[in-house]
Amino acid sequence: MARLAIEGLCKGWDFPVIDDLSLDVEEGEFLVIVGPSGIGKTTLLRLVAGLETPDRGRILVGDRDVTRVPPYRRDVAMTFESYALYPHMTVAANIASPLKARRLPEDEIRRRVGEVTRLLRIDMLLERKPGEISGGQKQRTALGRTLVADPQVFLLDEPISHLDARIRHELRSQFHTLEDLRRVATVYVTHDYAEALSLGDRIAVMGNGGRLVQVGNPRELFEQPATLFVAEHLGQPTINAIEAELVDVDDRLEAHAGSLRLPIAPAHRAALTKVQQRQVTIGLRPQHLRPSDELPQGVALEGRIDIFEALGSTGVMIVDAGGVRLTALTSPERTFDHGADVTLAWNPEALYFFSPVDGRNILL
Amino acid sequence: MADQARPDDRWRHVRVLFLAFLGLWLLFTLFPLYFMIITALKTTAETNLTVPTFWPELFAFGNFAAVFAEATNFDALIDSFVIATINTLLSLFLGTLAGYAFARFPRQAGGENLAFWILSNRMFPPVAILVPMFFLFDSTPWGTDSIWSLIILYLVFNLPLATWLMMVFFRDAPRELEEAAYLDGWTPLRAFLRITLPLVLPGMISVAMLCWIFAWNEYLFANLFVGTDVRTYTIVIPTFTHGSQTLWNLQMAFSLIAMIPPVTLFILLRRYMVRGLSLGVVKG
Repeated sequence: MARLAIEGLCKGWDFPVIDDLSLDVEEGEFLVIVGPSGIGKTTLLRLVAGLETPDRGRILVGDRDVTRVPPYRRDVAMTFESYALYPHMTVAANIASPLKARRLPEDEIRRRVGEVTRLLRIDMLLERKPGEISGGQKQRTALGRTLVADPQVFLLDEPISHLDARIRHELRSQFHTLEDLRRVATVYVTHDYAEALSLGDRIAVMGNGGRLVQVGNPRELFEQPATLFVAEHLGQPTINAIEAELVDVDDRLEAHAGSLRLPIAPAHRAALTKVQQRQVTIGLRPQHLRPSDELPQGVALEGRIDIFEALGSTGVMIVDAGGVRLTALTSPERTFDHGADVTLAWNPEALYFFSPVDGRNILL
Repeated sequence: MADQARPDDRWRHVRVLFLAFLGLWLLFTLFPLYFMIITALKTTAETNLTVPTFWPELFAFGNFAAVFAEATNFDALIDSFVIATINTLLSLFLGTLAGYAFARFPRQAGGENLAFWILSNRMFPPVAILVPMFFLFDSTPWGTDSIWSLIILYLVFNLPLATWLMMVFFRDAPRELEEAAYLDGWTPLRAFLRITLPLVLPGMISVAMLCWIFAWNEYLFANLFVGTDVRTYTIVIPTFTHGSQTLWNLQMAFSLIAMIPPVTLFILLRRYMVRGLSLGVVKG
């Protein structure tokens, strides 16, 4: 068991896929790398697995520098997005593959394959071929093949994104409970932010240009997003981003967007005065924008309902407020009419301020 | 029943035409075989009638034994078999390795152009190199009249085909499966043998069939190269033509015997053959 350290990793010169990326994953930590499709998450995993060679930087497993070690001597296990099960072998043979490679005795192999398949509840499929089992079962088989190897580092590439919702949920809860995954350093890649918030001990958000935008525990990332990118991607529904200008009105500070006037909380005002920026992108989470009777202590704003959706556990409305489209949440049992006027309330303390140039959180 | 048939009625003429075409096609392809078989069973006198008969007057099964009156005729079948088999194994071995290199390391292996150039070696008319090749092999220690000269020479034709087809099959085999095997702890060679090779096996078998049949049936080079120490069956067939007459019945009987090995192979391996030739070799 060991920790994984990535130091200044680079891949690709002209168009960097991974650019000067450093990351530590502690022994027993479950780190989720999250980011939109095609951003280099899979490349990062392939670099750690040894399937690609970095142009610069080091990869350490424990104290051992594995940067130039071929994948079959790295003691790193990885699941592929496509599962990559061997189509001509049975489920049992697929899972036994890493043990066979280590030349373990037959009965030891049988015992460990039995253990892992019982844990993943695929022990009744041992003699089937991958073509004869469902997507969820294929995923479990692929997972079994990595678990059985007892490696130093686990790499999981979008392990459950292609499954239907119910099985995805079931497997997601299994990731919480699999002891083996929780004992060693695990890197889990996904584009699904709910998955990231649910599973990660820590989350690393990957952005354009092969860099990590922010690394932290789920709470931190949600409450103190380093950039608009992070704020937009963590949290459902998406945060309201309002292009606004800061204007001094008498002794107060207001944000003007269209005909919308948003008073700035005194705590924010002091900080904003210091950075001297007038054009900002204001972030307001839909959770903090509600019908005024649900948030009596908030500041009111008037608007007209464009769309209302009752989603069961919550209601979502999209409101036109003085030319700005805002998303607000309501409690689930209420209904609203399209086109009706509504008074919303929000809490000035809950605003985020991002630079319209680079999306940085100005107050962080 | 009657109204169920109605939608088909519109297509009845088309279907009749289609069946008629198929019938003609069958006649066209099967008649030569049929005529070969009955000729092989005719007496020599009957084969020389001006008006051919389409059913033998009496069955001269002895023809099949008579072709081996010349003992070396049987040896020729053996020589052909040995040449075709060794050539096929060599083509398959080298073609698989080369095809894998072109599929997995196209840049290091010389790229698409080199791969295509290798295939293009199969496109020139073989007769163009007939004489140069004769002198080339004549200058080797074993000369032209040896099984090895033909085994090596047929690589000129079979290796490009084997390389190209194996390349296509390997491209179809997902690279990720090999990578998964590396992560399981298998070295590249063992991953290749354990994972990739079984996936392209149907393809390999069809390649083997194609190579084997080419080498088995080759006449042009065999006719010039060998004849004394080594004889292939293809150069035995013309020997049934003598100065004044052709022993059609013996020639056909010998040809039928020569058809047995490839037909047997094809029947045994046709399951793989069809799968391999349709290129979808690794559909899981």
